[in-house]
Amino acid sequence: MKFFDCNASFGTSMIRPIRFAKTAQELLKEMDFYGISEALVYHARQRDDSPAVGNEILLKEINGFNRLHGTFAILPLQTGELGSLEEILQRMRAANVRAFWAYPAEHKYLMTRTALGSLYDLMVERQIPLFISVNESCGGISGWYLIEEILSEAEDLTLAVTEHGSWGHDRFFRPLVERYENLYLDISRYELDGGISDFCRKYGADRLLFGTGFPKWNPGGPILTLTHADITTKERGMIASGNLESILRRVRL
Amino acid sequence: MNLSPLVKEFIEKGRSKSCPVIDMHAHLGPYQGIYFPNPSPEDMIRTMNRCGVRMTVSSSHASLIDTNENYEMAKVVKKYPSRFRAYWVVNPNYPERMQRDIASFSGMEGFVGFKFLSDYHKYPITSPRYEPALKYADEHRLLLLMHTWGESRYDSPALVEKLAAKYRNVVFLMGHSGYGEWEKSIQIGRDYPNVYLELTAAYAVNGVIDWMVEEATSEKIVFGTDLPWFDPHCGIGCILFSRITDEDRHNILHRNAERLLDPYL
Repeated sequence: MKFFDCNASFGTSMIRPIRFAKTAQELLKEMDFYGISEALVYHARQRDDSPAVGNEILLKEINGFNRLHGTFAILPLQTGELGSLEEILQRMRAANVRAFWAYPAEHKYLMTRTALGSLYDLMVERQIPLFISVNESCGGISGWYLIEEILSEAEDLTLAVTEHGSWGHDRFFRPLVERYENLYLDISRYELDGGISDFCRKYGADRLLFGTGFPKWNPGGPILTLTHADITTKERGMIASGNLESILRRVRL
Repeated sequence: MNLSPLVKEFIEKGRSKSCPVIDMHAHLGPYQGIYFPNPSPEDMIRTMNRCGVRMTVSSSHASLIDTNENYEMAKVVKKYPSRFRAYWVVNPNYPERMQRDIASFSGMEGFVGFKFLSDYHKYPITSPRYEPALKYADEHRLLLLMHTWGESRYDSPALVEKLAAKYRNVVFLMGHSGYGEWEKSIQIGRDYPNVYLELTAAYAVNGVIDWMVEEATSEKIVFGTDLPWFDPHCGIGCILFSRITDEDRHNILHRNAERLLDPYL
């Protein structure tokens, strides 16, 4: 089975994880250990530093590694740090970057249409997915309430929510899955016994993405959980790699 | 890819004949803050069969609230003696029940010791309210599974250390391994022969199992899942994909538990 990790990062971060990959080369070695073929990646500096700095570091680091697919961290365009929409698109085309990440707590902005409207419109128009951890917060709201705020501002946005946590989130996210058809969840922390199979029976397999949350989380958990989840081989393949490949294929840069 | 014989077997079959997993930290039944697809004893046994888990040691969710529910847990152990053992939950909010609970425990088959849930019951594990249970556990060399969490005012690793030094005959299982305060937890697991690191939820933290094995050794670590919370394959996968040997994996997944449970099997 091919694993395509939607949620992996590398690079030196402000808070040292117990184990991490300093470089893209080291990340590939880690992926080999787990049997992961490809990964959609961000660099720790995209989150811990200014995205204007981090995005460029990422591109430089992954250049030439075709198993690693880059992402851009976003900011409100009003400060001009990331340039204009067209300039962002040009850089994405040049490096084949097909996804965004948002870190609103670290980068201090609101995820409202007032702040991000033109970026939301771009993402919807060009079907560029936005990734965000459910542990993010901004402007006094956080978690699934923040996720619903984002989707209520941009209903057609392709939004992938990561590391939703193991302590019982189904009551939070299932109403959103039913309401917003472009909401995806990574399974890096979907540890609930029978959770994946129960979800697939109700909603199908096309809303779940294989993710590890490396280096914070041990990829062995989602790998063995998905490998032996009580779902069909086709569903397993969709979650392991097919769904992410479809999302990235739909992007029009 | 990391493909030791044990890893290969689990990847291909989802379980291993040579590695009959024992889950030292499980529950049972529905609970307040979570939707469980598989909460009943029969659901849990199906999961255990799928994942190669031979036995779980459980405290029912209901008994975490009301210790009278320990009797219902006893019925499950009696019904499925080859698959379940149990911890008797004591709740310091009801000190008037403590002696009765200890007396009930002493006459109950299939119970291996006590369960403390101090972060939720809101009394520190060093509170005098726990003393009767601790003294009894010390006199009878029982297992004691405690929920432990880093920096907690109720059950931090530092508080566990105080009890471990005082009650030398109690086998302390540090549930969640004092989550987050890894360095201190590992030190206690290493320094106190009567303290074991229990892996529920902790296993997901990348690199922490390697660290525990390196400093406390795999002989001081036991496996747990909080079942019906977490798919056992998640924790097993984290152990399989740590940088440790198959011998270490066997110790963590069943051998240490077999040794601890020997008087109760």
